[in-house]
Amino acid sequence: MAPGATISSTAYYKLYFHAAKHPHQPVNGVLLGQQVGNVVKVEDVIPLLHHWTSLSPMMEIGLDLAGQHADESGLKVVGYYQARTNVSDVGLGPVGEEILQRLQEKFKDAFGLVIDGEDFGTDKAALIPWIYIAESSQWKVAPGSEAFTPGSAYQLASIDLPTSAKDYVKQGLHQAFGDFDDHLEDVSIDWLRNRTCIPFEA
Amino acid sequence: MSLSDSLQKLASYRVNNSRASQDVFKKGEALLKAGKAPRDEEGWAFLEQLALAAIDLDRLEVAEICLQKLADKFPGSPRVDVLTGIRMEATQGITPVLEYYNELLLQDPTNAAAWKRRISVLRRARSVDKATEELIEYLDTFYTDPEGWLELADIYVSNRQYTSALQALSHALVLNPQNPFTFVQFAETAYSASDLPLALKMFLLAIDMIERDLDSPESTPPTGLAFRTWWGIKLSTRHLLEGGPSSPSNTSAPKNLKALDVLATERILSAYKGKELEYQRRLVEGWVVRK
Repeated sequence: MAPGATISSTAYYKLYFHAAKHPHQPVNGVLLGQQVGNVVKVEDVIPLLHHWTSLSPMMEIGLDLAGQHADESGLKVVGYYQARTNVSDVGLGPVGEEILQRLQEKFKDAFGLVIDGEDFGTDKAALIPWIYIAESSQWKVAPGSEAFTPGSAYQLASIDLPTSAKDYVKQGLHQAFGDFDDHLEDVSIDWLRNRTCIPFEA
Repeated sequence: MSLSDSLQKLASYRVNNSRASQDVFKKGEALLKAGKAPRDEEGWAFLEQLALAAIDLDRLEVAEICLQKLADKFPGSPRVDVLTGIRMEATQGITPVLEYYNELLLQDPTNAAAWKRRISVLRRARSVDKATEELIEYLDTFYTDPEGWLELADIYVSNRQYTSALQALSHALVLNPQNPFTFVQFAETAYSASDLPLALKMFLLAIDMIERDLDSPESTPPTGLAFRTWWGIKLSTRHLLEGGPSSPSNTSAPKNLKALDVLATERILSAYKGKELEYQRRLVEGWVVRK
């Protein structure tokens, strides 16, 4: 049975800021964490692209560097997240599946999180988890009770995260957030850590 | 920001076709409210721009004010008709919106903008096959529309149909031979299609366009698109040196791969200077020397 996952506040804020910064574009990145028993603890997130998200060279370099950073931090690359251009599209798509397949080579239980554009900005987590079903060789939405609600195998570190993330966005914290695409335009952008915009309580 | 600064910023957004809706709305609405919206020719482009930003931000009442002024000034204008359609898209379902664009096209089959809107609505409604079919038909009629070719390429790459994407991009290149972004997009698409020699060739063409006039490259680290392109060159030469599949387009790799590898490494590392970038530099150094 696929392990469940918990998402730390740092990880949630980062992927939230990434999506909020590029409202009309697709965004993607990887999840960093470790497996503890039957739970994958997602502790951090590395944002990759918001431009040409289906093209592979910068994705490949970004993934390599993110992997190195994970090693340095004692973490593993445990999954992938994306937001699609189409607000109601919560699928992985062929590109998302291909990336996850590559991540599985190093972490067997790699899973995907797709940001749900319809719920984004409400008090719901707005994340749909996707897992690999070996029996049918397919990626499917994780079964069970609705993710990130009580009783689900997928939990946020705190149920208030979506509300506080939205408040931080209203305050403009996400404007200082940068991904690998941004770093490629301006080398001073600290895409691996994004320390300046993560609230201290995280 | 002064009045003229705001106007200048808005004008530059228009020139660059930037979708900076929050900034546009903030500046534009302020100008409109203060009665300082431009009144000359520029005034109409300003209203259209503000309307689009307002729709993006769900401030439809402002969009409607702009639309009304435009409709009053330009009754029956195809451009205003399309803007009205975009306003409809914000609140109405797919069917009435498609009917509206169909109606516009029946009345005026040369309304390219209406056709493109219809195609984008079809794509959004996930009728991707229909959208692709129509887009190809559109490009048959309106060949000299680079945006159309780029959209077609985007539809193909999101479905991992890289060869078809390259074909579409080659048309965009013919139409935009001076635009290094299109070369880099082509290169990255070729890379995604596992055609490394073709990718490298296009990355090199791009870097030549971007850095051709650099007086002293040794003291000028690459920035912006050049930086990204050097990364592409490094990645491609690395894989080519490892030996890889043959090029689907029969492009031959350049002879001086090792020298290119060294040069690309140098250019990339030269950008990581100073204490702030120490950590990044260490990781990048680790990456570039990996075999």
